[in-house]
Amino acid sequence: MAETTDLLLPQTPAVVIDRASMTYTVNSDEKRSSPGSALGRVMRKISGRESTVKINALKELSLVAYQGEAIGVIGLNGSGKSTLMNLICGKIQPTTGAIYASSTPIMLGVSAALVPDLSGAHNVILGCLAMGLTKAQIADRHEAIMELAGLGSSINLPMRSYSAGMASRLRFAIAAAIDPEILIIDEALNTGDDEFRGRTKQRMDQLREQAGCVFLVSHSLKTIQDLCTRVIWIDKGDLLFDGDTETALGWYRKYTKELAGGDRFAAAKIRRRMQNTLDTVSIEPLQPGRRRSVRA
Amino acid sequence: MSQETKIEMGAKNVPVRVDLRVLARVGAKPGLIDYLISLWNYRHFMVYDARARVQSGNKRDRLGSAWLLLDPLLNGIGYFLIFGLLLGASRGVENFIGFLILGVFLFQMSSRAVVSGARVIPSNRNVIQAFNFPRATLTVAVNIRELLANIPVIIMMLLMILVIAPAEEITWRWLLLGPAVGLQFIFNLGAGLLLAPLVAKINDVVHVVSFAMRFWMFASCVMFPIDRYNSVPVIKAIVEANPLYLVLDIVRSSVLYAQTPGWQSWAGLAAWALGTLMVGMLIFWKGEESYGRDD
Repeated sequence: MAETTDLLLPQTPAVVIDRASMTYTVNSDEKRSSPGSALGRVMRKISGRESTVKINALKELSLVAYQGEAIGVIGLNGSGKSTLMNLICGKIQPTTGAIYASSTPIMLGVSAALVPDLSGAHNVILGCLAMGLTKAQIADRHEAIMELAGLGSSINLPMRSYSAGMASRLRFAIAAAIDPEILIIDEALNTGDDEFRGRTKQRMDQLREQAGCVFLVSHSLKTIQDLCTRVIWIDKGDLLFDGDTETALGWYRKYTKELAGGDRFAAAKIRRRMQNTLDTVSIEPLQPGRRRSVRA
Repeated sequence: MSQETKIEMGAKNVPVRVDLRVLARVGAKPGLIDYLISLWNYRHFMVYDARARVQSGNKRDRLGSAWLLLDPLLNGIGYFLIFGLLLGASRGVENFIGFLILGVFLFQMSSRAVVSGARVIPSNRNVIQAFNFPRATLTVAVNIRELLANIPVIIMMLLMILVIAPAEEITWRWLLLGPAVGLQFIFNLGAGLLLAPLVAKINDVVHVVSFAMRFWMFASCVMFPIDRYNSVPVIKAIVEANPLYLVLDIVRSSVLYAQTPGWQSWAGLAAWALGTLMVGMLIFWKGEESYGRDD
């Protein structure tokens, strides 16, 4: 990244994350010596909430994604990748800070059945309507969605009878029905069988080429290397690296190798090194009246 | 880790100038007017959701959609057998069976619609998390679904009133059932919108709501005439101002007793319906950004 991103660079921001952080409050089974009065303990017993724990899923981070970038997101399980993606597509709101985008980001991921009692075919139409497609547009794309889902006659069965794999295929086919400008791909999709994987890959490549800005969450470093122009590495809620793909993957491989080898000390050292050399970004809203320069 | 410490340790702080005005905050709720317009744009979604769920509601049953008719029929026969033949109760009410059937059926419409309207956020979390759309559409869809599911109920209700003695004559006043149910629908919708944000925040409210509906039944004179409250004028006044009592009163006088309901009842019911809808919509819109969150 340049010293100070010049105003006249022809880069248009697609997603701006401005000091966003996310803290979840969840119930924990963990017993602990309850502080506070006896009444408080009784209340906690009654409500079944022994203790609540605040989880700092994502610590404050800022970044700017530009049109034309394909950004890989890497990190160990539970590092906050999905939280960041959920924040970007607006599924959840950050605890602090804000996220801006040039158009609504669409996430291609896997999740459970939409409306379990409705048939797959009904869910397709319902999902398309929920994404704001008109009836004519749905009629146009119906064939393509059915073909991509490839569920055959099962499409008329209620979705609660689907296997996890079938449901995620349908879910993917629905989400892929629109051509989003900002696309988030969650590679948990790779759980599908080989036949489906081939077909989704084709559609995903198609969408990726059309989209202005892509976020790709993946554990496959090969995929990231092939597709991404920039990599974000998140670890335990901290941003460790934001920059070019080769450097990121190099350090990430070293880090995971140390962890796999059981050398926590060496891993922690890498982590510290990454954190200390990371350039932080601070978002400065443009002054009114100078709008022209960014739009150029 | 704060930015200052990092800078000390050798990393740079890179200021990036961004024109935030060409971008929109993700998941931000639009202004109230825009929100209402977007609701209208999603009308096909609401109607489709409602219709699909009515059709599939009884899919697990062998008799399927026949239950939409059988359910009210069995209910009505039950009341007729117990109160009409077995107990011979009239409680000083002319055509007590008709009185009871109208009361129970119409009240059930509201109670089901309000309870499922209040639960709309937790019961649709999948759809909410999967797509971005104005969440109030879900509450509207639930109410349309209840209305559609209740059309056979209303038909069955009128048939039973005609069949079960003493049979009633059909007058033009039966048409007043339309506007009365329409206002009841608006009131249910408003109540659902009002309660849904509360339930989304504190799930326990669901239990309170279903309990309150049972209590409300007694305050709406579903099973006995309002004369019962004569001895306590305060309670009687409260019952008379109750929107569901107004619905029952309007429908009973037009269908059973061939009397045209007074304008006061209409005005009261309309005020309740529109007032609740406006307040409900405002409160629901205020919480719009918070509904996608997991508990």
